[in-house]
Amino acid sequence: MALNDPIGTQVSVDNVSKQYSGKGGPVHALSEVSFGVEDGEFVCIVGPSGCGKTTLFRIIAGLEEPTDGSVRLGGDRVEGPTADMGVVFQEYHLFPWRTVRGNVAFGLEKGGVSAAERRERVDSLVDLVGLEGFADSYPKELSGGMKQRVAIARALATDPSLLLMDEPFGAVDAQTREMLQNELLDIWEQTGKTVLFVTHDVEEAVKLADRVVVMAKEPGRIRDVIEVDLPRPRSRSDADFGAYYERVLGLIRE
Amino acid sequence: MATDIRRELEDATESADLPLSSIDARGTLLGFIGVAGFVALWYVASLFQPSYVLPSPLAVAETFRAEAESGEMLIALGQSIRHWLPGAVIGTTLGVAAGVAFGWSRLLDDLSAPVVRLLRPVPPLALVGFAIAWFGIGDAGAAFIIAVGAFWINFYAAYGGVEGVSEDLLDVARSLGVEGDLELVRSVVIPAASPEILTGVRTGLGRCWMLVVASEIFGVPGIGRRILRAGQNLQVDVVIAYILVLSLMFLLVDVAFRAVQRRVLAWR
Repeated sequence: MALNDPIGTQVSVDNVSKQYSGKGGPVHALSEVSFGVEDGEFVCIVGPSGCGKTTLFRIIAGLEEPTDGSVRLGGDRVEGPTADMGVVFQEYHLFPWRTVRGNVAFGLEKGGVSAAERRERVDSLVDLVGLEGFADSYPKELSGGMKQRVAIARALATDPSLLLMDEPFGAVDAQTREMLQNELLDIWEQTGKTVLFVTHDVEEAVKLADRVVVMAKEPGRIRDVIEVDLPRPRSRSDADFGAYYERVLGLIRE
Repeated sequence: MATDIRRELEDATESADLPLSSIDARGTLLGFIGVAGFVALWYVASLFQPSYVLPSPLAVAETFRAEAESGEMLIALGQSIRHWLPGAVIGTTLGVAAGVAFGWSRLLDDLSAPVVRLLRPVPPLALVGFAIAWFGIGDAGAAFIIAVGAFWINFYAAYGGVEGVSEDLLDVARSLGVEGDLELVRSVVIPAASPEILTGVRTGLGRCWMLVVASEIFGVPGIGRRILRAGQNLQVDVVIAYILVLSLMFLLVDVAFRAVQRRVLAWR
């Protein structure tokens, strides 16, 4: 960790802009986006489609470079993908030729971890996401919700300080989504990881987050950051939940 | 939790039957009927032709037995295997390696594209001159021709497989700490492309049996030589008997390789 690390700030996004060259001149996918995520915090980024949230996700993950600005993780500048960030994608992207156990073990195979230790760690992660009994199954044998659990376990395997997720529950049915949301909150509480979670679903953001970063489009930018001061577990039938929901939705519609 | 998973498993997608592993009795039976029908048709046709045009299946069977018993057939097979095997192994290995490398590296691909287009249409048979000049009249020259045939099939299969590897899987691997081309190729590209690579290997192994005939055209002894010589002498029964040997070898290798393929690709 760098010496100039502001205490407690896990992720800091500073003035990130991204331009693509389009047919009718440059397209401003992101314009001067800045925000921070505290250590152990659960932050959701929510916005309409086309607001650049997936671009922002890819830049934070180190998979794309910003045109301007920078991203820091634990004080160190992100200059490419790093195992200190566990990344979860909407479409799971499991390695189909590996079993559940093999997928979870992927990030641990570069040496440094003994086989016995690796096995123990993998098994405990498989248990953590509730897939005991499926450790030797191949991805083709799993449902969408189960695949996403594997992806989460795989992302946690290298013990990253940040879990970065891009609409992870966007491809599963409503019932499974609700279940996965609760499980993610459990995992978050158990592991104390910092979570940065991208979604287009306002309800999901209000349900999960300590703070919601609301984005707007054309150009992609931050409209406001809302602190959700509600005890967990949260229920959408609460009046307070509804108030937050309306407030975030209002910001998106503005 | 367990019940949740069971519920999810119920709507888990198309995992039921694997296209590779279905051996059904009906198909086997129909196959036998097909073979029997073919032989019967051949027999009837042979009644109306002199034996140097089309010998009957019985005559061919008799020749096959005689050639097998005299030991001629086994010797010829052994001679052919001596260039089939090194040709297939070398051509397959180099073809897969080059296909993976050129499919992965944009630089290599751009550099090689014109050369590949120039060399690709050259039939292996046209390289007989090079085979003789570089390797002499012998197993090495014949193996060279076979290797060239295997090379291109494997090159294109591996190249296509690597090109089709999902960028997303590579992103996942990078975000899990995999660095450098070699590591990415080893941990993601090759396993992801393995279905295409193995299909290429299988096709290539079959093609190598066909090339056995061509590779022996300049005088190297073996099954191909035997077929060419018998053809010149109008011994059509001998030609067919040795073609059968090639077919049987093809079948044997193909069935064995398919079993391997099924095991390796059990995840599909």
